[in-house]
Amino acid sequence: MANSKLYKGSLTTIILKLLNESDKMYGYEITQKVKEITKGELKITEGALYPALHKLEADGLLDVEVKKVDNRLRKYYKLTDKGKKETVNKLNELQEYIKTMQVLVNPNFSLE
Amino acid sequence: MKKLSKDQIQNLYTFTRNHYVYHYDLQTELVDHLANDIEAIWKDQPNLSFTEARDQSFKKFGVFGFMDVVEQRQKAMNKKYLKYLWFEAKQWFTIPKIIITLTLFLGFYLSFKSSIANYFFWAYYIIMAVWCFIRVVSLNRVFTKRKKLNNKKWLLEEIIFKQAGGTGLVLVSQLPTWHNITQDSFVNGYFVLSVSIFTTLFFIWLFISYQLLPDKAEELLKTTYPEYSL
Repeated sequence: MANSKLYKGSLTTIILKLLNESDKMYGYEITQKVKEITKGELKITEGALYPALHKLEADGLLDVEVKKVDNRLRKYYKLTDKGKKETVNKLNELQEYIKTMQVLVNPNFSLE
Repeated sequence: MKKLSKDQIQNLYTFTRNHYVYHYDLQTELVDHLANDIEAIWKDQPNLSFTEARDQSFKKFGVFGFMDVVEQRQKAMNKKYLKYLWFEAKQWFTIPKIIITLTLFLGFYLSFKSSIANYFFWAYYIIMAVWCFIRVVSLNRVFTKRKKLNNKKWLLEEIIFKQAGGTGLVLVSQLPTWHNITQDSFVNGYFVLSVSIFTTLFFIWLFISYQLLPDKAEELLKTTYPEYSL
């Protein structure tokens, strides 16, 4: 697995982006989805995922829904309107960051 | 595919409680997470017992287990509580409640401008302190009763009933240290104005956290936790 410290700062953006692509998701589903997309390269740890989700919820970016599935309750998260706007901002920020990093690690790459 | 039974789900609730997760809202989320993971583990290793699979899944939370999740959840919920408090506070500065706010302010201002301002000051703050104390006792009683009825602990409920305005009580308990506030202090016009503004805001804040939010607890819990009414 790649250096997870490098991904840490982007966890919120990853969560928002995933939720933006589907109607609603639950915690475990998010961890699995990330593993699947990145072919196991990135594993979101449980200890980091839930705090991030709860913070986004408290900030009003996510809304929650609870459904009974099998014989247990499942908590789903979905983006609020504010969350949708924030996703666009966060993704732009991340793109900028990637560009800057590319310039730093590869001097032949230009921002122009 | 092997699925978890009802008893096993109950076992997971007990498991989270034994690992310092005391609130039903967070327990529920973690139980579902562990359950999903256990079922996924069973897919690869169908012969593993429930306890073995559960422990394997729990290990993924790291050496501190659920502690970090619990701590962060507390922080997030405190933030949510402050948002509810702020929402209520804003009402006092818009029509019609602003009339009450202005009347309060004017009442405080006039009494602090009078020749016996310091007596008024002490009277107001002692009344507020006594009222806070009575409310804390009564809210604690209501909280214990609610818990007995429901057996489930909700984090927001605990914040509303147990630590609501706790800081207010701390501030009021600091009253004796304000002994150097005397009649002379009230000669200064700016002092009178700032004490009146502070007392008005303080009064509103105490009223919201000790009275309004606990009165609205059911409604707030329903909005915060969709599973509350399930």
